[in-house]
Amino acid sequence: MTLLDLTGVACPLNWVKAKLALERMEPGDELVLLLDEGEPLESVPLSAREDGHDVRVDGTRVTIVKR
Amino acid sequence: MLDEADLERYSRQLVLPEWSGEAQERLQRASAMVVGLGALGSPVAAYLVGAGVGRVGIVDSDDVELSNLPRQPLHFTSDVSTNKALSASAKLALLNPTVLVEPYPARLGRMNAEMMLDGADIVVDCSDSFATRYLVNDTCCALGIPLIEAGVLGFDGMAMTIRPGESACYRCAFPVEPAPEAVPSCSEAGVLGPVAGIVGSIQALEALKLLAGVGEPLLDRFLQIDGRTLEQTLVSTSRRPGCPACASVPAATQSA
Repeated sequence: MTLLDLTGVACPLNWVKAKLALERMEPGDELVLLLDEGEPLESVPLSAREDGHDVRVDGTRVTIVKR
Repeated sequence: MLDEADLERYSRQLVLPEWSGEAQERLQRASAMVVGLGALGSPVAAYLVGAGVGRVGIVDSDDVELSNLPRQPLHFTSDVSTNKALSASAKLALLNPTVLVEPYPARLGRMNAEMMLDGADIVVDCSDSFATRYLVNDTCCALGIPLIEAGVLGFDGMAMTIRPGESACYRCAFPVEPAPEAVPSCSEAGVLGPVAGIVGSIQALEALKLLAGVGEPLLDRFLQIDGRTLEQTLVSTSRRPGCPACASVPAATQSA
């Protein structure tokens, strides 16, 4: 499990950082993101799902399982 | 490696599902040569430098003229009489200081073409004469360097991407070199700026796609665009057996 604190990081830079972290991980690995409410929490999980990853949202904590 | 500032600078291309950190690092490691810094070369060089291609060489022996300014957005009124490679390089350095921009205020000719283009991962031909275009094509074929060709005249433009030894080269598609006096160069004939902007942008797009390994390049086809109607035609072409430029080129030498 990798934790990435992206609070205070605006769109689209937050997703860029998450995406690059995912690139370095193996399929099945979990990436946990801490996101700000509002646009980040609305759009980052969406982008992750569009890229085919499994996504769980728990408050402002978002878990992405790399596909 | 991409640092924090790179992530922010390139974020709008890095968010593309087709792009990746690896694609961006491939760009960073790549070397491009832009031949001609006029109406096509201005958008091409600006987009390659803006997108983060590691090294961009720019070649032009001409000075900026007042009549260039409507269609060559890297050159400003105060640059008139300055060499185009030097004028462009000053703007490109401001656009993206992380890119190594190498200006060559020289004429690309038979004597120096191989030396100038050797080592590039891609060449973008933005020259305005058929003689230079065939020379750049033949040199890229001999060196096995992928090439983006294009031309504009009046409202019309064309572009094609070439992987020597793998797809049709410019000479395969247009085997008969026009006599120098038969065709007016665009310095004599008219051209409307945005037509060159569109075609140059297509060249830049093709170059970035090839360098990053993204999308499908315009191989074995050329695009024709009519700026009057924006009608676009993709014309199929293919390698010509016995082509003096590319018939004996092995496909494996490509770097991009």
